[in-house]
Parts: sequence; structure tokens; C-alpha cells
Amino acid sequence: MIHLGELLSAHLDGELSPAERDRVAEHLEECDRCRDELEELAAARAAVRSLPLVEVPAAALGLPEPVVVPLTRRKSVWAGMAAAAAAISIVVASVLAPDGTAVTPQDLSDPFGARVSLDPGFTPTKVAQVRVATGEFAE
Amino acid sequence: MVETASDISWEDVARVYGRKIYNFAYRLTGNPDDAHDLVQEVLLRVRRGLPTYRPGSFEGWLWRITRNAFLDDVRRRKRRPTTALPDELDRTGLVSSPAPDEVLASIRLGEDIQKALLDLPYDFREAVVLCDVVGLSYEEIAQAVEAPIGTVRSRIHRGRRMLRERLG
Repeated sequence: MIHLGELLSAHLDGELSPAERDRVAEHLEECDRCRDELEELAAARAAVRSLPLVEVPAAALGLPEPVVVPLTRRKSVWAGMAAAAAAISIVVASVLAPDGTAVTPQDLSDPFGARVSLDPGFTPTKVAQVRVATGEFAE
Repeated sequence: MVETASDISWEDVARVYGRKIYNFAYRLTGNPDDAHDLVQEVLLRVRRGLPTYRPGSFEGWLWRITRNAFLDDVRRRKRRPTTALPDELDRTGLVSSPAPDEVLASIRLGEDIQKALLDLPYDFREAVVLCDVVGLSYEEIAQAVEAPIGTVRSRIHRGRRMLRERLG
């Protein structure tokens, strides 16, 4: 019996001709050895495919910083309010942190986020407008 | 489908393919610095080459450039010893919080797979990475490595068998 060999890998990758596909299907029905090999090849293939795609450092691409999706694209006023409320709760949680250290707006990574959290009138929409005005990102 | 050079800029290539080019080199070498250098070199070559690009398989063209840049780089460095893998915990930002056992297990497994890949002879490693990391078809791989499609099929198959043996 002639075994399938490299046709098995091509089978896994969908790289067989129709005639080869028929031959592989017929052979696999009657050959334990090729079925076992197919299983092993599938495991090796899945292992490599399971490796995560590593993020490329922005500096390697030589492109401007990625554009942040503007908050003005939020469709719901409630979504904006929910975000502001969430930000406030983060600050409150931080201020009351167990170690007792005071948290200032400068401690937060996003100064505009800090402003939102401390000033309810400074809405996400306003943040987006400021960000555009200051050229932090371009539309 | 890229028909002419004017359809695409090097910035488009950087945005769409930068990450895959980086991962191609990273998985071939296990070295982030090499991957970083390769992306920059490939984008430079793409920038120079785009004006003379003729309609055809853009993927084949791009990955041929990538592969040649990689091999040139390897020759230039005269294959410095492979450095240890970077700490995956650092890269995934998991250092500050305790990772669940299953996360740690998957990181260890990832390291084992990377080590097994690095053990493969270059031609087989390249074929497997182009197929299973980059996601190219056999036809595109054949164009990239300038080999017959039957050779590509054989390398992918033998590469996987070797990997299976090493992974136990």
C-alpha cells in the first residue's frame, strides 16, 4: 500500500486538487497508519498556529502614533455618561485606596480622563473636541 | 488586489503587513531585535521597490522582499548566536498581576513551540512559519522562496513531522 505522506499536510491546508482529495479520503478510510499521522501533523500545525501574533513596536514601522477613535463617535449620551461615571468611580476608588496615599489628577495616565473624572461638565464630547483642537489626533 | 504601484503606499504596507513581517522574523529567530531591524529594512525596500512593482501577486512580491532582506541580514551578521527568548511575561504585561495557571501553562507551551521551531533546519522552519504564522498559500510561499510548489509542500510536511517529534 502506498501511504499518503506529504499529501496529508496539503490536505490539512486545503491545498489538494479534487483528484487528490478523493484519493486521500478513500485511503484514510482504510489506513490506520495514515489516520494516526494525520492526527500528529494536525497537532504540530495547531501548535504553531497557536503562537500569538506578537505586537510590532510602533517605532519599527516608522508611522505616526495610531489614531485614537474619537469619543464623539459614541452614539448614546448614556454611553458617555456611563464612561464618565466609571472614570469617577476609578478616581474615588483610587483616592480611598488602602495605602492611604492621595491621588492627584497627574497620577492618572490620561490628563483628559482625569479632567472628565473630576469635572462632570467636561464631557467625553468636550474631551474629543480638545483632543482635535490640540492636534492630539487628526480626524 | 493591488494592481499598480499607485494603489498602495509603503505606509499602507506598514499598517497592513508590518505586524506579520515582524512575526515572521520573530518566529524564525526568536529575537525581537532582529525582527525590529527586519521590519525597517523591508519597509525601506518596499518604498524603493513600489515604483517598479508590476501587477501580479503582491503577497508573493512582498514576501520575496521580506525573505531576501532576512537572508541578507543573516549573512551580514554571520549568524550571531541565538539569544535567549525574551521573557514572555514581560511582553504580555502579566508581570504585575498573578497569572492563572492556565495562562502560565500556555506561555510555557508557547516557549516550547518556539524552541522546537528554532531547532528546525532553516528551509523547513521558513516554510512552516510562512504557512502557519504568516498564513500564506503554498503558491504564495513558492513565489516568496522561489522554489517549486512541490518543494514547498514537502518542506511544510517534513517541517511539521520534525516539530511533532520535538514536541513529543
